[in-house]
Amino acid sequence: MKTRTLLAVLTLIAGIGLAAVSYLFLAAPLGRPTAESLSNPRFPFAAALFVVGIVAVFASAVVYEVLPDGREQRAPARQAPSR
Amino acid sequence: MAKFGMVIDLDRCMGCRACMEACKVENNTTQAVFWMYVFRFEEGEYPNVNISFMPRPCQHCDNPPCAKVCPVGARYKREDGLVATDLDRCIGCRYCQVACPYGVNYFNWTSPKATVKAGDTLLSVSAPGASGLRLGASYVPKLPQYLDWSGPAAEAVGKVTGGVVPPYKNPDLVKSYGPERRRIAGGEHPKGVIEKCTFCVHRVEKGMDPACVANCPVSALHFGDTEDPQSEVSRLLRQRQAWQLLEENNTKPRVFYLGGKPPGTETRQIEAVKARV
Amino acid sequence: MSVRAERLPHGVGRLSAAASFLVFALLALVALGIYAYSRQFVEGEIVTGMRDIGTMGGAAWGLYIAFVVYFVGVSFAGITIAAVVRLLDLEFLRPISRMAELLTVITLLLGAFSVLADLGQPLRGIINLFRYGRPMSPFFGTFSLVMSGYLFASLVYLYLSGRRDAALMAQRQTSLRWFYRLWAAGYRHTAEEQARHHRTSFWLALSILPLLVTAHSTLGFVFGLQTGRPGWYSALQAPGFVVLAGVSGTGLLIVVAALLRQTTGARDQLGMAVFRWLGNFLMVLTAAYLYFIVVEWLTSAYAAHTSEARVSASIMSGTYAPVFWASVGLLVLSFGVLFVQFVTRRHSLALIVLAGVLVNLAAIGKRFLIVVPSQTHGTLLPYGPGYYSPTWVEYSVIVGLVSLGTLLFILFVKVFPIIEVKEQPQGGR
Repeated sequence: MKTRTLLAVLTLIAGIGLAAVSYLFLAAPLGRPTAESLSNPRFPFAAALFVVGIVAVFASAVVYEVLPDGREQRAPARQAPSR
Repeated sequence: MAKFGMVIDLDRCMGCRACMEACKVENNTTQAVFWMYVFRFEEGEYPNVNISFMPRPCQHCDNPPCAKVCPVGARYKREDGLVATDLDRCIGCRYCQVACPYGVNYFNWTSPKATVKAGDTLLSVSAPGASGLRLGASYVPKLPQYLDWSGPAAEAVGKVTGGVVPPYKNPDLVKSYGPERRRIAGGEHPKGVIEKCTFCVHRVEKGMDPACVANCPVSALHFGDTEDPQSEVSRLLRQRQAWQLLEENNTKPRVFYLGGKPPGTETRQIEAVKARV
Repeated sequence: MSVRAERLPHGVGRLSAAASFLVFALLALVALGIYAYSRQFVEGEIVTGMRDIGTMGGAAWGLYIAFVVYFVGVSFAGITIAAVVRLLDLEFLRPISRMAELLTVITLLLGAFSVLADLGQPLRGIINLFRYGRPMSPFFGTFSLVMSGYLFASLVYLYLSGRRDAALMAQRQTSLRWFYRLWAAGYRHTAEEQARHHRTSFWLALSILPLLVTAHSTLGFVFGLQTGRPGWYSALQAPGFVVLAGVSGTGLLIVVAALLRQTTGARDQLGMAVFRWLGNFLMVLTAAYLYFIVVEWLTSAYAAHTSEARVSASIMSGTYAPVFWASVGLLVLSFGVLFVQFVTRRHSLALIVLAGVLVNLAAIGKRFLIVVPSQTHGTLLPYGPGYYSPTWVEYSVIVGLVSLGTLLFILFVKVFPIIEVKEQPQGGR
């Protein structure tokens, strides 16, 4: 498997994981607020982490497309002129 | 842990609105803001008209729609039953206000200003079509304002009352409360945040009753721990049939009404409320 | 921007006198918006027409929130059409992909700015939303999924689908060559890269669609979950939002595409086939939304809680009746115009564009009607009716935002080809 694919998949999984964990476990709990603690996030900036997770999911597409070819492709790529 | 609630005896309430005054003085609220409000209702057609009165504080619901929707947790439910607003965290989105079925929220549309005087220029609209105006000699204040007791007015009143009248600027309003240490008593009413009846948390934490309860001339308002079977509110709730406002919305309010009846579809206010900033 | 004796595709780098005048006019309007907002920032939102619900008889959410919903709604359609084009391989619609993606990105930005304009403490809002955001609040979905997630996803889509043209532009001697090279990020027009892009854009489009349906539904839930606001509490809010979003977005896309067809002269790529499809698509969505309106009207007319009946009455025959009937009328008219063209198979670009404009005006009216009447006339306790009338501050901020959006669009068009360039970049095999 190319490095690029691996990295992209890792970013995707990390993103989904971070988003899920932030939403379910780090942010303020879902459900009726019956005490002050239930209106606060369990971990600071959990919402920011959630957004970072979502961003990572879509950034994995950029990783997959933009990252330069791995070792296997370096030889042929050098032959093509860049302009 | 105490769980506070309020019992309002509508058989005693005579619509004098002393509770509204007391709330205003105690919490230093600005113009047209009525954390405690008393409806003056009328039902029926002349000559069969029925007049009734209904105080409406914040209901401090056990299933508060306002706390549910606050995006940052500035509006939260305390364990002692109070629904509080952290004025340091509030971002002024007003979601709690549109979510509240009872209409108890008041947003600080501008900063409160000390007493204005003739010759001041204001930017204020209190009716459609009005625009900014320069005050003339016969100016009537239109901006939200509160008396600044560091000003000359304070001296005059202090002389008259012999220094007995408590300061308008209650320092308790800016302190932090509860084990969570958050500023929920209203403070200086900074612009851009939302506020509502706090059940006078700054008084309750000292073991006193809210200002409205303490000042009702006919003892129509009662406040206490609903979990304590010996408290006055518990006894009243045991002795008499109580109802609640907008029960069907499942908000589980902590304010109980004795006597009277819930406002119906034909209930209307005696006069249109014109108070607006 | 200097161009050496070669014309860049689709009007890039060429600023005509008319366009310059437009840019200056827009800048002036943006400046007006900034000035108006500065008054609001200094004095507080008292300079707007919004007031407290209840004893003050006002609406706490007004024009700003109506436009948040409108902008986010418009953004929905842009990326949806781009995604659908990719997923269904509708090649003849490819020319509108980039402008659709751009429309999404820009209108989402405008939506985010509208939210900030509405907040009483905007600076605190930016920090606290990320620091303390509560998933239980429907607004959490709006700011995290919509403003953050979906905006980023659309930017990624725009970026990746533009790399090929960026590589092409980078081959020419222009002063923005560094920008094109940055965008292209080493793109080589090989079969393998094209295949990779094809795959990526497929999965990207596929994953954006559920994200934006979810994101847009949470915006509907902001209103639909409030039992305390008669007229808002309805399971129809979320789907209604999504459908009207499709209507307004497709309509605006038609207008944008027609304008670009004029200014870039790309009549062959933006031919009648494109507008016919868009017109038919808009027709179907408009019919769907009219169905929503009829269902809502029938339900409230047949039986309703007193409080809801009061809100409906204020909308249909009371204070807000002019806005309601104008919006419905515009939607019906647009549907009629598009339907006649559909059955007679004779399409006129001007009429399709007209329909696009009219449905957007209707959407603005309808968004206003969703937001305001339930506050001024929808109190469950007998407070009595209120009123809401936006002030010059609110109008100016909105005008400023729309002008900003238009400016950003023009800026992009002048800097990057808005339609995919036909030539092959060098280095292809």
